[in-house]
Amino acid sequence: MIRFNNVTKVYGNDTVALERVNLEITSGEFVFLVGASGSGKSTMVRLILKEMEPSAGAIYVNGTKLSSVPRRRIPRLRRDIGCVFQDFKLLPNKTAAENVAYAMEVTGQRRRTIRTKVPQILDLVGLSGKMDKYPDMLSGGEQQRVSIARAFVSQPPILVADEPTGNLDPNTSVGIMQLLHRINRIGTTVVVATHDREMVDVMRKRVVALEEGRIVRDKVRGAYTDEV
Amino acid sequence: MRFNFGFFLGEAFKNIRLNLLMSITAVTTTFICILVFGLGLLVSAHIQGVIGSVRDDVSVEAFMPNADQGEIDALAKKVEGWPEVASVTKVTQEQAFAEFKDKFKDQPDIYKDLDTGVFPASVQIQLKDPGTANDVAGKLKQEGFSEENLSYPQQTIDRLNAVTSYVIWGLYGATLLFLVASVLLISNAIRLSIFARRKEIEVMKLVGASDGFVRTPFVFEGLLQGFVGAGLAALAVVWINFLFVDWAHNDLPYVPVSSDAVNAPFVLVVLVAVGVAIGVVGSFLSVTRFLRKI
Repeated sequence: MIRFNNVTKVYGNDTVALERVNLEITSGEFVFLVGASGSGKSTMVRLILKEMEPSAGAIYVNGTKLSSVPRRRIPRLRRDIGCVFQDFKLLPNKTAAENVAYAMEVTGQRRRTIRTKVPQILDLVGLSGKMDKYPDMLSGGEQQRVSIARAFVSQPPILVADEPTGNLDPNTSVGIMQLLHRINRIGTTVVVATHDREMVDVMRKRVVALEEGRIVRDKVRGAYTDEV
Repeated sequence: MRFNFGFFLGEAFKNIRLNLLMSITAVTTTFICILVFGLGLLVSAHIQGVIGSVRDDVSVEAFMPNADQGEIDALAKKVEGWPEVASVTKVTQEQAFAEFKDKFKDQPDIYKDLDTGVFPASVQIQLKDPGTANDVAGKLKQEGFSEENLSYPQQTIDRLNAVTSYVIWGLYGATLLFLVASVLLISNAIRLSIFARRKEIEVMKLVGASDGFVRTPFVFEGLLQGFVGAGLAALAVVWINFLFVDWAHNDLPYVPVSSDAVNAPFVLVVLVAVGVAIGVVGSFLSVTRFLRKI
């Protein structure tokens, strides 16, 4: 589903963010990318979204080599990858429902489909009562739920989350993780970059640990740190 | 993909409402630029109008200083026989003075020290067709009249042109500069409003919006702002024109200012079209440039 082939990313002239990373994520997996700040987690997420190009190596998403996707085809690529961010990235002038609807509008879906689907998905993330609230009227956890609903509303095969619980308290984080877990269970490949140790240890999923741009550990049903 | 007109228009209206101050800036800029552009058009239209109405003048005047009545009668008789001529009127020195006094009856100071002898006697020739004025003037020159002793429309036109050509070119230059400035100002206003919303645009791109999808509401917004600004300016121009023609008729009765010189619906359409074009092109280019960067 997602494959990194000897990927190196250098910022500027000498800041190495990723160094010869090889990683294969298969369909339906749930993978944590863990590591300290600056270890290269976010760089991997941004490379998957083709927000930037690798300095060397190749990345495949859904069987497509990203470097061969022309600029104008990027929107189509992103519709296959739902994304969730630490700072939610909701449109401030749109209500929760409108934010979710926007992700459907961009794909040109019918208004009737949008009208039926949006309440369903918001109900799924537990926000049926807050459809018409603007982001600044919602708590952090609620905003993140809206952003997950938006990422998932078109049912993309892949969902990528960059520090989804970074701004949330532990209790709220559990809810968000459960939501991601549920999304994974219906067959979506989920990649979560995080340094939320507790969460990773509780979930017992595949853990890929990064350190200074290299993969130092890759363990199925792993924990945040190496268990002795 | 379906083009969702209602969605885009709704987005545009919402953006205008939420960025009201920015929208007002864009509308005001458009208004001022189109207003100046329109006034430039107005002035040149009226100058053309005056020149046109002089050209349609069917009278040629031949002044005969130092001529006695016999010579005047002889000329009048001869001219009456020309095929282009409709009628001939003889004006004596006394009549010319009386006419002058009548013309300036509000300002008696002008003529109080003059005496009758200042004004030459003349023969006024009415033509059947204004197009023949130059031929008739030519014939009169063959009769021994010098350029200074003739008055026919082409002279007036030449004199008007000498004065107005500089004015008109200056006006065209200023109008052009203003148009360029307005394009820059408006695209700057749009760039500012896009910059204020750059985060939003980045998010739109992240959830898979194509460049066109992000751009369309902005283009609609530019269209609406251009339409409102230019529409108000065009109405102002037409209104100012109306006031000017009214004023000229009352206070400048000897200048042939005509309300026909300016075609009001045409001016409205041209100005609004220019404003809308600036709004659309400006926002299209600004958003496109911004989208290239992310």
